[in-house]
Amino acid sequence: MRIYLGLLESALPHQSRIFGELDGQLLDLQIACAAYLTQAESNPANAAELASYYFPDTITGFLEWGEPARQLLDRIISFASKAGLSGLRGHGGEKIVYQMSDVRLLPPLQNPEKSFVIGFSDRARTEALPPAEIPTGYYKLPQTFVTNGAPVVWPKFSEQLDADGCIAIVIGKAGKRIPPEKAWEHIAGATLIVDITARDINQREGLTTNNLLGKNFPSSTGVCPAVLIGNDPKTFAGLEVELSLDGRIKQKFALRDCVFSVEQIIARWSILGIKPGDWFAIGASMALQGERLQNPVPLKIGSTIRCASPAIGEVSHPVIAAGGIRR
Amino acid sequence: MKLVTFIDDDQERIGAIIDTLGLNQIVDLHKAYASYLHAVGNAATDQLAAATLGSDMIEFLKRGDQALAAARAAIKHAATDGGNGNIVERQRVRLMAPVPRPGALVSAGKNFSDHVAEMSSKKGPVAPVAFLKLPGSVIGPDDDIAHPPEVKNLDYEVELAVIIGKPCVDVSAGEAFDYVAGYASFNDISARDIIRGENKSGIHLMGKSFPGFAPMGPYLVTADEVPDPQNLKLWLRVNGEARQDSNLGYMIFKIRDMIAYWSQMGLNPGDVLTTGTPRGVAAGRKPDQVPWWLKPGDLVEAEVEGLGCLRNRIIAE
Repeated sequence: MRIYLGLLESALPHQSRIFGELDGQLLDLQIACAAYLTQAESNPANAAELASYYFPDTITGFLEWGEPARQLLDRIISFASKAGLSGLRGHGGEKIVYQMSDVRLLPPLQNPEKSFVIGFSDRARTEALPPAEIPTGYYKLPQTFVTNGAPVVWPKFSEQLDADGCIAIVIGKAGKRIPPEKAWEHIAGATLIVDITARDINQREGLTTNNLLGKNFPSSTGVCPAVLIGNDPKTFAGLEVELSLDGRIKQKFALRDCVFSVEQIIARWSILGIKPGDWFAIGASMALQGERLQNPVPLKIGSTIRCASPAIGEVSHPVIAAGGIRR
Repeated sequence: MKLVTFIDDDQERIGAIIDTLGLNQIVDLHKAYASYLHAVGNAATDQLAAATLGSDMIEFLKRGDQALAAARAAIKHAATDGGNGNIVERQRVRLMAPVPRPGALVSAGKNFSDHVAEMSSKKGPVAPVAFLKLPGSVIGPDDDIAHPPEVKNLDYEVELAVIIGKPCVDVSAGEAFDYVAGYASFNDISARDIIRGENKSGIHLMGKSFPGFAPMGPYLVTADEVPDPQNLKLWLRVNGEARQDSNLGYMIFKIRDMIAYWSQMGLNPGDVLTTGTPRGVAAGRKPDQVPWWLKPGDLVEAEVEGLGCLRNRIIAE
C-alpha cells in the first residue's frame, strides 16, 4: 500500500491531503474513510469526524495513530477495491478518486525531526576504507526537500555535484533506546531519497569531519512522493532501488546489501529518541554485473537523475543551473 | 528589547522583559498589544494582535519591523497602564529558549584560535566550519541538562547565538548584519567521547545533539541594542568557578563572514548561527591534570556580555 501527500487544484499550501494509490489512481483517504465508515460499518454519526482524525493534513499525523489507523487504511482500500473506483463517491457525493496528474504531490514527510542519511553504509564503498564500527549519519534539513519533477538547482558555490540513491526507513512509533529485537515495531514504511552532494565542498568539510553546506543547499534532497506502508522484515530486505542518469542505470542495490542492518540503525539512533515521520536513509551501491561501479554518480546541467524502486515508486529531477537556465 | 518565549497556564507565549522593573517582569505581548489596541479605540483587538505579532517567536520575527513596532507600543502601554493583567512575574512562569524550535541551528567549530590550539588541531580552517545541531536539542534557561547514560565526557562551550530575522540567501559580509534579528547567550553542550567515536567512522552528529544539548537564552536582545556584537566578552562558570573567559573579537571567521558564508545554504527567520567557543573547554583546558567533565549536580553558567546569564543544572537522565 502506497500513500501520498498532495494538494488539489486551488488548495492553499496548508490544505494538504493524504491519498492512497489503487489501480494507478489516487483516493482522497479522508473522504474515502468517511464513506467506508458510513456504508460498510454503518457508523454515520461521527464518520466524518473520525475520518478527519485518522487522515489529517500530514502523513505524520496519520502515522501517529499507529497500527489501528494502518488497519483502517487496509479496510478502506479493500472496500474501495470491491466497490469499484468508477462510481466511488463520498457520503455527501464528494469526489474521492483522482488521476495522479490532478494532484500536486508534495514531499510526503514535511518536517521530520530526524531526517538522517546513514553514512558510509554500502559494502562497495567501505571495502576501500577501514570498516565502520557504528552507523554514523548526517542530517538533511527539511528545507532542502524536493519531490518528483522538481529541478535540482546547481548551487553557485560548487563545481562538482553528484547523487546517491537511498532507501529511507520511515518511523511510525515513538521510542527511545529501542533494543534491536524491537526495532521493526517502530517502522511504518519506506520511501526513496536522492542524496545530492556538492562533492568539492563536502571533501573540504570532511577535513574537519563535518558536512553541512555540501549536503544542505536548496533542492539537495529528492524525496519520492510515495510512502510504502509496511514493516515486514523479509519484504523490506528485498526492497530494491535503482539510480539512473539520463536513462542509464548507475546504481542498483537491495536493502539487504547494506553493511548496517535496520535493527542496528534503529538501536543506535533511537538513543536520541525517534518519532513518527522521522526517516533514516540507507544508501548502497553494489557494482552492476559487467558495468563499472559509479558511486556516487556525477551530475551535469541538463541531465536527469531518477531513483526508482518497484515496490515504492520513483522520483526524478532535471538538473538545472542557478537562475533556472539550462546551460 | 529583551524578547522571551514563556509558558503560562500551559500555553506558549511571547513576551518582553522590561528593564525598568528590575528584569523580573514580563510583558505578555499579545495581551498588552490587544489592550493597547482597545485603548486607542480599535475593535477585534485579539484577532488584530494575533495577526500583527504572530503565533510564536519565529512568526513574530517573520513579521519584521511591523511586529517590533507593535511590541514597543505594547510594552509602553503595559508600563503606563500599571500592568493590568498584561504583566506576569518572571518567577511565576517557565522561560523557554527565545526561539524554542529554530528551523536550522548552525554551530561553528574551530572558530577561536585559542580553542583550536588547546584541542591540538594543527591549523585553523580555510573556510568556516560548522555542523547542525538538531532543533530538538534546544532548551531554555529554566531547564536542566540531562546527562545521557551513554556519555562519559560531557563538556560545555559558551557561544554567542545570532538569530536571523529575514530570509537570507547569498548575502555579502558587508550587508550581513541587516539580516540579524538579535542575539542570545548559548551553550554548545558536547559529548566528546561520542564525537570521537563518530569521527572514526564518519562525521559527528549524535555527540552534539542529545536532547538538552543546546541551552539558549534567557532572552533574545534585539540587534538595535547590541551596537558592536563582534566585541563582546563571554565567559562560563561551573559551580561558580571560571572555566572560560574570552572575547568574541578573537573569532577566526567573524560574525559577518559566518552569515555571508552560511547564507549560501539559505537561511530563514528564526534560524540560529552560533559562533564557536573560545578556550577553556573541559576537553582541552590547561593546566587541568584530569579533564573536569560535567557531572550530575553541576551548575553551568554561560554568559555573553549584556545578553544575560544562561544557568542550567546537569541532572542524571
